[in-house]
Amino acid sequence: MAAKALRTEEFNKIVLQDKQLTVVDYWAPWCVYCRRIEPAYEKIGSEYGDKLLVAKVNIDEEPELAEKYQVETIPTLMVFKDGEPVGHIVAPDSKAKIESFIGEHLN
Amino acid sequence: MEHIYDVVIIGGGPAGYTAALYAARAGRDTVILEKLSAGGQMATTAQIDNYPGFDEGVDGFELAMKMQQQAERFGAKTELAEVQEVKLAGEVKEITTDSGMIKGRTVIIATGANPRKMGIAKEDSLIGRGVGYCAHCDGMFYRGKTVAVVGGGNTAAADALLLSRICERVHLVHRREELRATKIYHEPMMQAENIKFHWNAKVVDLTEEGKVTGMVLENVKTGEKETVPCDGVFVSIGREPATELFAGQIDLDESGYILADETTRTNIPGVFAVGDVRQKALRQVVTAVADGAVASHYADEYLAEQA
Repeated sequence: MAAKALRTEEFNKIVLQDKQLTVVDYWAPWCVYCRRIEPAYEKIGSEYGDKLLVAKVNIDEEPELAEKYQVETIPTLMVFKDGEPVGHIVAPDSKAKIESFIGEHLN
Repeated sequence: MEHIYDVVIIGGGPAGYTAALYAARAGRDTVILEKLSAGGQMATTAQIDNYPGFDEGVDGFELAMKMQQQAERFGAKTELAEVQEVKLAGEVKEITTDSGMIKGRTVIIATGANPRKMGIAKEDSLIGRGVGYCAHCDGMFYRGKTVAVVGGGNTAAADALLLSRICERVHLVHRREELRATKIYHEPMMQAENIKFHWNAKVVDLTEEGKVTGMVLENVKTGEKETVPCDGVFVSIGREPATELFAGQIDLDESGYILADETTRTNIPGVFAVGDVRQKALRQVVTAVADGAVASHYADEYLAEQA
């Protein structure tokens, strides 16, 4: 499965209410560097789909979500465990770095 | 049975994917190892106006995707993997990556170079939103605006002069008391009325509202800080070739670029260097793709001799 685009309503249901383990990529269409991460992130979506939800949030569409979690720079990747953010990285420069970041939060 | 590729290409920028295109079309079993996504430096340039064939210019990311698809159409394979170690001597070259060992009879190094960064928070995330590394590429977007150039060498001086003709105001930020640039730049810079010099200064922070709105300068002698409003910051403090992996095996020049002549052959038989990572006079997308084609020719010849 590719990375799942979340709107606020789905985010609230899946991440906060159901407390599903999730990694969120905060991005925007105008962000040049965000595009570079996308192919690797989509691949991670299919490789890690059974371990956690690989999701993305367009901060132009959902500015309140970015504000709520104090995302000031994009791309930011953030892992949510039990409905709470437990870690984030900004602008990773390789697929390996994204994987090791996610790996820290998998049991 | 273990798989040994004919050609292993490290780095999926324009040089790497052109080498892959030519090698695959020559019937060679070819893999590209790329750590993130195709294009390298080119992929963060939204508008490339000096690559022939695109009269309206072309988006670097889209061009990269097309180069990848084109090479893959002829059978080249892409692995999203980060190289950790290489063993290049010997007939079969061994490349250790985060997702396992890759072996090949030839290796084409296309790891590129990166602009040296200031190393401050927000720098990466504001690339393309006010932070730039190439005034010649992006200067036109700042016509009539206020920009800063960071650095004091020849490139910084040339950038500041170029921008002074396009922009309302140019702030030159340099850590020392005088320019490192050669004398020919000094007078025209001093005469340009819209260049303001900030000596003994470095950028310690950026202010932003989605994009750059200013920079915080610190005087390296007094520690005094000052916020200077600007729309763009061009960083011209040099480049760094991505050659750490190869030091000790491949001959490098004093700046770390791989020594290979126009044949792209390095000191190790069966190992080639293409694009920005190679010591050369002009680093452009067109010279990178040319290297890629040349390397695959000599790799093909090497493989034919070995067979």
